[in-house]
Amino acid sequence: MRTPPSFIHAIEFSAFGEWMRSNVLAMPWVNAAHVLCVILVFGTILVVDLRLLGLLDRHRSVTRTADELLHLTWAAFAGAAISGALFFSANATTYWFNTAFRFKMLAIVLAGLNMAVFQFVTYRGVARWDRNEPPPRAAQLAAGLSILLWVTVLVLGRLIGFTKGFDVAVPDNIDFDFGAP
Amino acid sequence: MSKNKLMLKTIGSAAALIVGLAASPLLHAHHSFAAYDMTKTQILTGVVTRVNPDANHLQIFFAPMNTDRKNVERDKDGKPVIWAVEMAGSAAAAQDGISVSTFQPGTVFSVGVHPQRSGDPSGFREGPLFKCPVGANGKATPPKPGEHCDAVEGRTAFGQGTLPTPTK
Repeated sequence: MRTPPSFIHAIEFSAFGEWMRSNVLAMPWVNAAHVLCVILVFGTILVVDLRLLGLLDRHRSVTRTADELLHLTWAAFAGAAISGALFFSANATTYWFNTAFRFKMLAIVLAGLNMAVFQFVTYRGVARWDRNEPPPRAAQLAAGLSILLWVTVLVLGRLIGFTKGFDVAVPDNIDFDFGAP
Repeated sequence: MSKNKLMLKTIGSAAALIVGLAASPLLHAHHSFAAYDMTKTQILTGVVTRVNPDANHLQIFFAPMNTDRKNVERDKDGKPVIWAVEMAGSAAAAQDGISVSTFQPGTVFSVGVHPQRSGDPSGFREGPLFKCPVGANGKATPPKPGEHCDAVEGRTAFGQGTLPTPTK
């Protein structure tokens, strides 16, 4: 218990991790980039989701809204993943054991699965309901789930910052006995 | 001035302000020290259990050693009591050589702290840290009873000066 797997140790002691920890400007700038990318991911997904729910941009087709915004979503997601990975490398052991971080990763995976199911099942027939008002139930369900999961990601992301400093668990492999010869 | 020029000028000014703030010493003044009793100073010697190299504050978690320096302080269940010493952000601490690499679990070190007013087992760093040397058996050599790592031959200092004088 409390001893991370060797690959986590390797990430923490990688050149990226050392650079993030020792460069005075690395953390604030990577942090700013991460926040900006996350805002773009959530903002663009939210617009598409609200369109799928029939609450926004109802005069525009679903495909036009999605086509205009989702390339920005993917670019921002790549930026968020890279900046997030840099953050992780700086403090990998702590993040590895942090419950909020684990649930955040789970929420991202679930959001991805939800998006995949929508893309490969519901969206395949979009030509039939591209301009329909309201969109089909399956599209509305995917959009509602998407908003719920991405809000969860945001909330958990903030919780990490408030919880990761308070883990006082002791690794098993520390020998506190200094009396032995 | 046209609307577009005014907008560009405003965006430019805002960008310059952000860049200026990001590079300023404000980065190192993340929050107040109200939680800590800055009039009190304790010297603690302990065994590192974990380092949290946060951007805003680096924390070293450790088990304070007992006065005979043969083991660590324990609670009523026999588990090590864990303290945390907090300091400036990881990049600032790295300037003194303090990092997860230099304070790995099992390291024995001494530090001056301003303890929390609440009585919780943590404090804010004051002055340098001293690391006890590692012996031939690969284990840290603790100080003599009642002493600290600054008195151990072969110690390493992290930061300038000496350990602060503890308050009564």
